[in-house]
Amino acid sequence: MIKGYAGRTLTVNLETQEHHFEPLDEEMARLYIGGKGYGVRLLYDMTEPGIDPLSAENPLIFATGPLNGSVAPQSNRFAVVCKSPLTGGIGNATCGGSFAYALKRAGIDILIVKGAASAPCRLEVENDEVRILPAADLWGEGTYATQKALGKKYKHAVIGPAGENKVLYAGIVSDERIAGRTGVGAVMGSKNLKAVSVTGNHKLEMDDPEAFKAYTKTVRELFKEHPVLGESMKRFGTGAILNTTNGRNILPTRNFKYGHYDEGMSISGEHMEEHELVGVKSSCMHCPVTCGRDVEVEGVGRVKGPEYETLALLGSNLEISNLKDINEWNYLADDLGMDTISLGGTISFAMELQEKGAFDVGVKFGDPAGLSELIRDIGHRKGVGDDLADGSRRMSERFGGAEFAMHVKGLELSAYDPRGSYAQGVEYATTNRGGCHVQGASMYFESIGPLTINPQNLKLKADIPIVQQNLGCAINSMVLCIFSTYGMIPAAIHNMDPNSFSHRLLSRLMENMGPLFRGFMGIKARPMVWWEKWLTYITGQTLSSGHLQEIGARIFNLERIYNLREGLTQEQDTLPSRILNEPIFPGTTTGHPLDQILPRYYKLRGWDNNGVPTAKTLKRLQVRT
Amino acid sequence: MSITVQLTYDMAREVGSPTIQVSGAETVSDVLKLTRERFSQDEENYAQLTRVAALAINGVLINYRRGKKTKVQDGDRVSFVKAAAGG
Ligand code: SF4
Repeated sequence: MIKGYAGRTLTVNLETQEHHFEPLDEEMARLYIGGKGYGVRLLYDMTEPGIDPLSAENPLIFATGPLNGSVAPQSNRFAVVCKSPLTGGIGNATCGGSFAYALKRAGIDILIVKGAASAPCRLEVENDEVRILPAADLWGEGTYATQKALGKKYKHAVIGPAGENKVLYAGIVSDERIAGRTGVGAVMGSKNLKAVSVTGNHKLEMDDPEAFKAYTKTVRELFKEHPVLGESMKRFGTGAILNTTNGRNILPTRNFKYGHYDEGMSISGEHMEEHELVGVKSSCMHCPVTCGRDVEVEGVGRVKGPEYETLALLGSNLEISNLKDINEWNYLADDLGMDTISLGGTISFAMELQEKGAFDVGVKFGDPAGLSELIRDIGHRKGVGDDLADGSRRMSERFGGAEFAMHVKGLELSAYDPRGSYAQGVEYATTNRGGCHVQGASMYFESIGPLTINPQNLKLKADIPIVQQNLGCAINSMVLCIFSTYGMIPAAIHNMDPNSFSHRLLSRLMENMGPLFRGFMGIKARPMVWWEKWLTYITGQTLSSGHLQEIGARIFNLERIYNLREGLTQEQDTLPSRILNEPIFPGTTTGHPLDQILPRYYKLRGWDNNGVPTAKTLKRLQVRT
Repeated sequence: MSITVQLTYDMAREVGSPTIQVSGAETVSDVLKLTRERFSQDEENYAQLTRVAALAINGVLINYRRGKKTKVQDGDRVSFVKAAAGG
């Protein structure tokens, strides 16, 4: 077995109550690393086309990779893969905390849950012991209470009422982290599975433990000194982005009608640090960045505070400027087990529908009254909450307003307005799971990072998403936190005067080096960046940027053909009409120029004009169909 | 002619408001001079407050236009923007 893997998968069938262990498929591990990549391959192979995502036929796959189980910073993440009930295409999400570490220590790389139980149950795994236990007493409990009741011996991945009620954007919660996107929690709920608890003492082997140890020490020092990982994210959490996106006119405001919110500063990470922060315990195990924010919620106590996406989608996007309200809604969403991005995007859509007289949601922009109740009702599918629990796409099919339903492929957009971030728009349009930023984070190179290209011309706008999506696929398969990639820009660049001539020159140079950029990232040479070195020290395989680009492209194309198989087409490679047609920058008359970029994107991907990967591309990438 | 200047968090704490209004500016350079006048004389402190803050007009970085020579118009918003990361 390749080092770094526990070497086995566990399959549990909730219908037959049977389970079995199998050796991990080494060839698949080489081709897809683990995590998301391995999970997507399994999903593709295990399922018939066209299955109902909320049926027993949809497997729920918990997948780790070779970095998990080690003490490498930011490596306590696992991926969850299934068919998405929200998009009808590939569903996946990753989650931090400590569950990934425990799953590997239980000697399991991949856990496949098949079938559905006839009554609420939970799964407990301790090394070779696998138990399916009744969980009627936990059904209806929030994610906090459930984990507390299950105790500290095991690490847990659980659903709350939202998952039980099959809210289409329900997530799976572990510690205070969530695998939020694409409705993976609804799939767990459809199986009547309340919780997965794991522990163990399996020993993991590395190819070169000494080199790993020494190098990890170096990386920790590097992180400590880094302006993002050691300073801004550590001090202000991800909420530090809010003042940046607000200044760049890309902060979703009033259901993406505007890109700037006058009250933005009062819901920023800096404001949170000064007025609300009580600790960082909600951060992931072994992570020195500690971007988690602990806040006090009245009547509840100390809980995880909101991330940037939540601050924007439940804050500026609803025109809410009181951080305490957002803290409370964030807690409610976490406890109910719901993705705050889709939640915020669906609520803002319903508010706009209400303004147009097409739906009565009972809450309005700029007013916190009634929002706590509405969030609870969504989690329990009560009253109008039942409609909102289906997300903005389905609501627009029922009540109209498709032009301002802010989703791609059914997945609500995250908090970067593509009209001021063209590459991010291309990423939203083409990412296989839908309108998401953490499959590539192209916006870092055009809107929020220290050295950005002009985000509003056509240069590099197809190249950046491709390289970043490939890298994202590889990162989500190791499984590493995507925020690690922010450390790639050295401190020297961060410390440059961003208004200087040299900065401008560098930005222009970057903008004009498309083929060079892709070529450079594609070089199969010596591992340079920390995750490449860790992978090499742990597995004994040389995995450099070029190798990871190739593996990432393989995973991305596999997801693509999965989506095509499930009936998604190039028609879904689009952006909401508001983004394409309504200008938000003074002097512009329209929105995002997606149609001018997409053909080049398809070409660079090796896809035909219909967005279908060619046989040559699939062969080159060794993607079996 | 009035320009809204959106400050960084630390600058805002110093003047007690997230934005200030300046008038009579024709270029970004003028806006910067007028903004500077609202802060204490302590050069070191001001340099620290504005360190690595890029400038944007209505969300577009001045580096993509004519730098500090870029003209401003009545009603424009000039922002001090620091790089950030997360998601
Ligand atoms: S950076 Fe934040 S999200 Fe990523 S591993 Fe660390 S604490 Fe978790």
